[in-house]
Order: sequence, then C-alpha cells, then structure tokens
Amino acid sequence: MNTSSRQGILERVRSATGAAAPARIAEAYAALPRDYVRQGTMTHEACLDRMIERLREYDAEVVETAPEQLLAAIGAQLEASGKRVFVAPEGLPSEWLIPGFDWKVDRGLATAEIEAADGVVTAAFCGIADSGTIALHHSPAEGRRVLTLLPDWHLCVLRASQVVETLPEYFSRCPQPPALATYISGPSATADIEMTRIKGVHGPRFLHVLLVHDDSIF
Amino acid sequence: MSSVDPDRVILDPRFAPPFPQAALPVLRNPQLRKNVAHAIDVIQGKRGKLVAEKTDWQTLRAAASDLRTHVLENLGEYLVQFEERCTAAGGVVHWAADAAEARSIILDLLRQENANEVIKIKTMTSAEIQLNPFLEANGVNVFETDLAEIILQLGEEEPSHIVVPALHVNRSQVREIFARRMGLKNLSDDPKELTNAARTYLRQKFLTIPTAIGGANSLIAETGSVAVVESEGNGRMCLTLPRTLITLAGIEKVIPRFHDLEVILQLLARSATGERMNPYTSLWTGVVPGDGPQKFHVVLLDNGRSSILAKPKQRQTLKCIRCAACMNACPVYRQTGGHAYGSVYPGPIGAILTPQLMNMQHAQSLPFASSLCGACYEVCPVKINIPEVLLELRSQVVNQERKQAGRIFDPLDLGLRIANFLFAGAGRFHAAQRMGRIGARLFTRKDGWIHSLPSVGAKWTQTRDLRGLPPQNFHEWWAARRKEAK
Repeated sequence: MNTSSRQGILERVRSATGAAAPARIAEAYAALPRDYVRQGTMTHEACLDRMIERLREYDAEVVETAPEQLLAAIGAQLEASGKRVFVAPEGLPSEWLIPGFDWKVDRGLATAEIEAADGVVTAAFCGIADSGTIALHHSPAEGRRVLTLLPDWHLCVLRASQVVETLPEYFSRCPQPPALATYISGPSATADIEMTRIKGVHGPRFLHVLLVHDDSIF
Repeated sequence: MSSVDPDRVILDPRFAPPFPQAALPVLRNPQLRKNVAHAIDVIQGKRGKLVAEKTDWQTLRAAASDLRTHVLENLGEYLVQFEERCTAAGGVVHWAADAAEARSIILDLLRQENANEVIKIKTMTSAEIQLNPFLEANGVNVFETDLAEIILQLGEEEPSHIVVPALHVNRSQVREIFARRMGLKNLSDDPKELTNAARTYLRQKFLTIPTAIGGANSLIAETGSVAVVESEGNGRMCLTLPRTLITLAGIEKVIPRFHDLEVILQLLARSATGERMNPYTSLWTGVVPGDGPQKFHVVLLDNGRSSILAKPKQRQTLKCIRCAACMNACPVYRQTGGHAYGSVYPGPIGAILTPQLMNMQHAQSLPFASSLCGACYEVCPVKINIPEVLLELRSQVVNQERKQAGRIFDPLDLGLRIANFLFAGAGRFHAAQRMGRIGARLFTRKDGWIHSLPSVGAKWTQTRDLRGLPPQNFHEWWAARRKEAK
C-alpha cells in the first residue's frame, strides 16, 4: 500500500478543515438536530395493517396467522407454491421443516445446491411498516445472505411483535450495529427500461410474508 | 476530412465540447428528447407523491444537511476511524490520491487474484475514474450487472443520468441492442422480456466469476461497515457470491454511525426513484466468516475532493448523496439530457461537481448551464445550495477569462467596465441617460420600439425587440411635478 497517498490525502483534508479534538467532534455530533419523526403514533394494529398494505403494494403475498396455526400456514404456503425443494437456514426451528418436502438445511451448502433449490424459508429481524421493509440481520434462523438471494421464492416468517412503524424505531431496536444486514422492500425490481417497473430481476421474484400474530393476547 | 461523428458523446471533461455545443445533438433529436422527458415525468410524479406524504420531510432534510456538513468538517477523523474499524473487521483499506492511482490499485488487486474477468455493481465513481476502459485495455473483461449499465455497455452508449443511466434509450433500442449482442433474434420489446433476457445473460456470470467491483452509498465510521442500495439484486449477487470484493468510494461518503442511515435511507429512495424504500439495501462489515467474500478491499478516492473541501462556499458540493433529484427537477437537463454535460455527473450537481473535480481547468461552461431557477436546491435532500455554488464558480470562470491576454479589449468586458464607471455616480448616470436618449432616437421606430441595433447591440435585437427610451425618466418627472406643485 502506498502510505504516502494516505498521508497526503489526510494532510490535505485536515488542512482544509482543521483538526478538532475527538471530544469536540463527539459533542458536535450529539448536538446535531434530529427533529424528524422517530417514534410512530399509530396503534400497533394500524401499524400491522400498514405493513401488510405496503407489502402488497410491492406485489408481495401476505398471509396472517395465529401462532398455533403457524406450522399449518407454512405447510399451506409451501404446498400452494407447487415447489418441492427448499433451503432452510441452519437455525430455522426444526418444526418449520414441514415433512413431505425436500429440505436442504444449510450446513455449508454449495452455491450450486442453493441455486438448484426452488425456494427458501427464513425468519426475520424486524418489519418496518412505513416502507413495508423487512430487515434481515442474518442470524442463524435468517440464514446466510446467499440463501435469500438465489432461490426464486422466499417465504419470510415475521412476528407481529417484530413490526415497528418507522425506520428510526428499527434502528433503536438494534442492540448493536449488525455486522451484516439486508433490507428487503418487495421482490427485486427494475425500472431501467422506460421507467416501467418490472418485478424480479436477479433476486427472488416471489416474496411471501407470513405474519404471525404473536401479540394477539393484548 | 475527419471521420469522427460530430454527435459522438464524450463524457471526459478534458475533451468534451462546451455545453452549448454538446447540447445540440440532443436538441436536434426528437426521439431522444421524448425518451428523457418521459423518464423524468415518471420519476418526478412518483417523487412528488411520496415526498408530500412524508410530514417530516423538511426536518429530515435539515438533519441530513447538518449531518453531512458535520462529516465534512471532521472528515479526517471519520476516515481514520472507518479505516481502523474496517481493517479490524478483516477489510483492507487503500488510499488513492487520484484516478490513475485508484485504477492501478484496482488492477494490481485483480492481478493478485489472477482475475481476467470481473462483475461490477453500478458505480458512478468508477465511471469518474474511467475504470472500465482501463481494465479492458489491460486484459480484464468487465461485466456490468445493473440492467441500465448492461444496456449501455452492450450498446456502446454513455450514461446520461446517475440513477437511471440509460433513461435516454427506449425499449425498441434496448431490444435492438440485446438481440444483436446476446444473439436473441426473436426478442420482443416488452420490458419484461428484455429484463428476463438480462437475467439469463448474467446468471452464470454471477455464479462463476469470483471477483467483483462495486461502490458505496455510505461508509460507516463507527463500525467500518459499507452500505449499498439497489433495486435489482445484482448488487447483492456481487456482494455475496464472489471470493473477492473491491469497493471504490469517494472519501466524502463516510457517515459517523450506523443509525445515521435512518436519515439517509429515508431521503435517498424517495428522492432518487420515488419509492418509499429501494428494494434492497445491503450492509456488511469487513469479512464475515462463512458469509460472502472472504477478501475485501476498499479504495478511498480523493481525486480532487480534498481541494473542494478547502473552499468554504464550495464544500457543500461534497454533501451530495447522488440521488439525482436535482437533474430530475432541472428545466435545462430536461431539454438537453445528460450527455450535453460532457461528464459522468450531469445535471445541476454535475454542473458544480465536474469543473471542481477538474480543478477549474476544464468544463468551465457548465456553471453557466443553468437558469438559476433554484429547483435543484429546493429538491436536494441534503440541501446543497447549488445556485450559490454555480454563481461562485461563474465568478471564478469570469476571473480566469479576465486574466487572459487580450481580454482588456473584449467588447463585453469593456462595456461592463464602462457601465461600472457610469453607474457609480448619479451625475454620470443621468448624463449617460440623456446621451442614450439622444442616441436611441436614431434607432427608435414610430411604434416606440427598437427593432434592430448595429454592432454588439444586434446580439440583443436579433431575437427580441427593445422598447425605446421614454422622453422623461422618473427622476425628471418627479422633479417637474414638485416644481408644478409649488
């Protein structure tokens, strides 16, 4: 590495701006205005409706289910997809691997095996209703990034308690910054040809969200 | 006789013709103008709706503006912090003073990998340093993977917009390019079918080419992470499947903390494509064992940015998050499209960024390629006062020209110096008005209008008429009125 370029750039930058002490920088950072909406104002129910509405606008399929119906709902989705071979992240609850389908559990699956699968089932970290976004932090139940990328069909299990209204609420739910994250807002899309939105370019063309009402006791 | 096509698009500011000349091919091409206007109308319509529903839009803009300003004021510290955290997470950070150094760093990295093929995520920064032609000349096959970039690469076209770079190409032109270059004779011009053709064309490349090059929307100082926003999933492919990933990013792309993304992400997609959120945002930190590329390099590019940073009025140029809202809102861009700017950065942001990146040695016509209507400032999500910077750069260009020998006899310059003298004192001004009235009488017709003036004045009357001077000005009328009242 050319250390003189590093030095040269940093010298030019610092002579342009002056060098403030770290404590001063932290102080200035803390004083930055954050007057935008951080906390949503909707009831949780309205927030879930918003999430569903936004997901459907993106042409994602949404099915709601009670916790005790979850396994049946997963089974019904898999059945309705007409597909047989599914990838599962290593940490996916084992009961979600509904019998009768060909499951490839990711204990270091080769790319070709993932590419050959018809679909994938994962959990999620958070749902953001404002924009219909699903945040994956790629925990063991959410899987490596490639799992939700190559298969053309993605069933994502999202718990109602994971859904927040605003993007800042998502950030305040992160105990610490994730090393990996993918925010998914609908299936992959492009509008590069005459601004016509085409669903499904390289990422999964079909996004199904199973919304589990785990907070229905309230 | 030169065989060079006079309408050939040149996006290198060192060789591009001045804006008024470069704009002519588009102004003569109704199809091109229609393509540009259609694309812009669609984006503008969607953006308008989504911005209107966001009740905190102005406070978000203010937060983003202050955040970006804060970063620039402390850029050195944040860059060092990013480098430290990224390195600790297994990434390798390189520093490139200029385009040539960035190109050679990237080529060296590719040679270490024995890579003669590379897949690429759309990055305007790589276009800025003219990376593709350089790699091709050095025996590396470059495969662009963004749909618009494929259209441009296969059609040997140049980008005309920073978010939708092929917006000047319509579906039948895309069909022609794909049919010819992918050998698909029976392809229709249905965008869905065209998109599918691109998917098929790229799938094997994603699965087999082990090296990728991409850009960055944000570098996060706190964690050493990089964030990339996209729509198609080609970005995720390049960020996930290869063994080795090289990220090229301008030094201004840093943000202090992970949660600062809450500001940037809420503004970016709405401003860029009129979506509440882009389909995919990827964030990664160095090398994560077992997930994604196991070798990760970041090339931090200066290439003129530190000298922009040193100029207080112009520094705000570097706040830019590359959303393209300014070009979508610009009445000039709408007429000329992007190629007229002779730079990979067109539109209002290009008009201020390009000459500055060229150290004011090239692209001096760009600061004048604006009506100063201010629409760009109004839509800018990070509140860059583009008209203010345009004016500042205009004055620098004028000062440059004034220093050139012979300028002292330039009619415009001479005229302005005389005007300066006359306008500086009331007596001189009134005397000049009386003289002017006598002189103007020679050219004023019976209808009270001047239809043609000789010499330099003809430049004005060629395209418009001038009202003749009235027999009395306001001062004279006021003085006469007071006299009568007495």
